[in-house]
Amino acid sequence: MAMEINVSEMRRVRLFEVMGRVDSTNATELGSTLDKAADDGNNNLVLDLSGVEYMSSAGLREMVRILKRVKRNGGDLRIANPSERVKEVLELAGLDSIFEIYPTQVEAVGSF
Amino acid sequence: MADVNSLVIAARLDDVRLACDMVVDAAEAAALDERAVYHCQMAVDEALTNIIEHGYEYEADGNTIEIRCAIEDDRFVITITDDSPAFNPLGHTAPDPGEPLDTREPGGWGIYFIRKLMDDVHYTRVNNHNQLVLVKNRPLVEAAQSLPASGDVEEAFASRVLDNGAVVIWPSGRLDSNTSPVLEQVLNSHLQRGHYWLFVDLAGVEYIASSGLKILVSAWRRANEHNGDLVLSGLQPRIIEILEMVGFDMLFQIFPDLDDALQAQSKRA
Repeated sequence: MAMEINVSEMRRVRLFEVMGRVDSTNATELGSTLDKAADDGNNNLVLDLSGVEYMSSAGLREMVRILKRVKRNGGDLRIANPSERVKEVLELAGLDSIFEIYPTQVEAVGSF
Repeated sequence: MADVNSLVIAARLDDVRLACDMVVDAAEAAALDERAVYHCQMAVDEALTNIIEHGYEYEADGNTIEIRCAIEDDRFVITITDDSPAFNPLGHTAPDPGEPLDTREPGGWGIYFIRKLMDDVHYTRVNNHNQLVLVKNRPLVEAAQSLPASGDVEEAFASRVLDNGAVVIWPSGRLDSNTSPVLEQVLNSHLQRGHYWLFVDLAGVEYIASSGLKILVSAWRRANEHNGDLVLSGLQPRIIEILEMVGFDMLFQIFPDLDDALQAQSKRA
């Protein structure tokens, strides 16, 4: 399965539900989808990764880039429900201390 | 071991997925667990992406990369060969996972992941080609089963039959769901031959999961049914703690080291 992203506009947050594989062929697509939110002035972002079966460093790179961008604007990019494998990779890169990670989408959205 | 899969892809990102799929199939066939399969897929993805982006600089025309997967006893070996300009990816300094966000560059993590996710990685330049070899260790049971001669399974954990018919067994490393079946086979093969005095020296065991405990208890039961015993020695503090947690310290005779255990038995006999 290639990557799919569902975007929902919440009261204070824009929610992105990502599904499938995030790799070097489509990571920039993920990045530009998130960029669009920041362009619109939405800097409180939640990335629900529960449907991501695979993510390479190309996906992490885009996430870090967007995190830096929205933080500069006083916002945050928070992660909901990553799989064990994705969580392991986040930990290996030390990103578990840089991203706020929540076990559920509701908690991540509610954290703003 | 003739189990080899290979594939040649064009040097473009869209073809990386084909290689990933092939590696996943081969890794599963090599009996790697789901986590290890994921690690192999990610290491190959990162390596190929690097070659395409930096080695061939996105020039796919006429440029190819070969990926080979082989099972070599207890190792799953992935060899990636390309003819882009000489480049040793392992020569580059790794980024620091402790680096804070403000100074952190977003990228540069590919090689870091390859090193972290695989058990062994090396690079050589062969006939004007770059060759990157990625190795993942296979679980002990499957590796033992793929050895040709019978009796090799027992060698996975050393054991020795003493003059008085008692058997000493030295498991080592982790006794988890991968390795416990090996211990089970060793114990069962001795029990079947009528050796009902078993001395299991756990000095080399750093971790024991419930699967390992279960096997020790069922062998202990069989030994006792035949007026023998299964005696433990050399337990590291963490292992004692685990046994105490489940109350098995009351079940087994436990000695500080193997000599104490053997002496105690000779007095009983």
